[in-house]
Amino acid sequence: METLELAPAARDPFEVDLERFHGPLDLLLHLIRNQDIDIFDIPIARITAQFLAAIRNMGRMELERAGEFLEMAATLVRIKAQMLFPRRAGEEEGDDPRADLVRRLLEYEHFREAARLLERAERERSRLFARGHVEVRPQPRLSELPLETGWDEVWEAALRMQERLAELRAVHTVHGRAVKIEDQMNEVVDALTLQRRVEFAALVARWGTRIHSVATLLACLELGKRSVVRLRQTEPFSALWIYRARERAAGEAEA
Amino acid sequence: MVEALLFASEAPLSAAELARADESLDEESVENAVAELRGEYDQDERAFQIVEVGGGYQLLTRPEFAPVLERFDSVPATQRLSGPALETLSILAYRQPVGRAEVEEIRGVGAGGVLKTLQERGLIEVVGRGEGLGRPLLYGTTPFFLQHFGFRSLDDLPRPEDLPVVLAPRESAPDPQLSLADAQA
Repeated sequence: METLELAPAARDPFEVDLERFHGPLDLLLHLIRNQDIDIFDIPIARITAQFLAAIRNMGRMELERAGEFLEMAATLVRIKAQMLFPRRAGEEEGDDPRADLVRRLLEYEHFREAARLLERAERERSRLFARGHVEVRPQPRLSELPLETGWDEVWEAALRMQERLAELRAVHTVHGRAVKIEDQMNEVVDALTLQRRVEFAALVARWGTRIHSVATLLACLELGKRSVVRLRQTEPFSALWIYRARERAAGEAEA
Repeated sequence: MVEALLFASEAPLSAAELARADESLDEESVENAVAELRGEYDQDERAFQIVEVGGGYQLLTRPEFAPVLERFDSVPATQRLSGPALETLSILAYRQPVGRAEVEEIRGVGAGGVLKTLQERGLIEVVGRGEGLGRPLLYGTTPFFLQHFGFRSLDDLPRPEDLPVVLAPRESAPDPQLSLADAQA
């Protein structure tokens, strides 16, 4: 059973092949072409013997690959057996038991040659370098995206969650309201008497504590509800702008 | 303007894509600009050229610099494809859309792993489903396939008639339902 032992890791199809042949058809073609055998008149007994000898020498092989070679060996033996039967009179050329194998060999050889030309094109193209040599990566398919989440990302997300929970807990420890929303509403209105608009971050920067930010935000929302100010944010987490409501309304009326 | 766009782009840009960059451009003026630039690059013996690949234009170095660039540390070597991958790709390129069973029938070996890797590298994609048993997935080549091999289009593939082994017309094409993989299943 040792010859059928599974390879420890899956073979990377892009690795340079250590095993010379890409499959049973490749091996068979090699035997035929190297001995200048007429592919339309394969000496099946000789080729079968050589094929079996070759796969015996190939040694350890993955189960799947071994199966592919053994299947071909079985096909060869079957053809050999059929060839031993005397031909009946009137039997046509198309009944040659080798015909299907020959068709497959030629078809495979056709594409093997095409692959050789592709390889040449690839080699020529690889001599030209694009700027920065950045290989254009294929666009990931949407359906595959969920699978691209690795454990690292899950772990990081869990850590972020923990930080956020810690922050939330910190907010919970604040007792009472150190800053009055009413005061902040006045601050916002005062700020807007000098400027037409003010950015939220700039507004709260002068206090610098979280509770001031929260109170100011609540104040802005309250003022917004009372149509004293208008709030504008182009996308989530972008800068929040506070506008004087009346002037905007006036501007809109003009327009 | 066209030169700036080609310089800044990682991927080939088609005339239509280039023309979209500015109102003053259309496909004809883009093509004229490309021809003009080509002339200048050739005349000045610049180290790079405009190559038409995968239906677009791309700035690429000239081949004579390959030996230097290949040796240079910070230039990653282009990852070449293995023999089985190239064989699978050639079947796909000529016969697309093609199912896995037909690839396995022609190569006489399992194709699942190779198809998956080719798909991951963006060289092939699922283009539909066949009519046969189990509605098998059909694969075709991508625009990136053309870029990888430096082809302008699929018409640039070596013509089947020019290959050393020419196949008879495919009137006796194997029924995909009766092919190797299905028989094993």
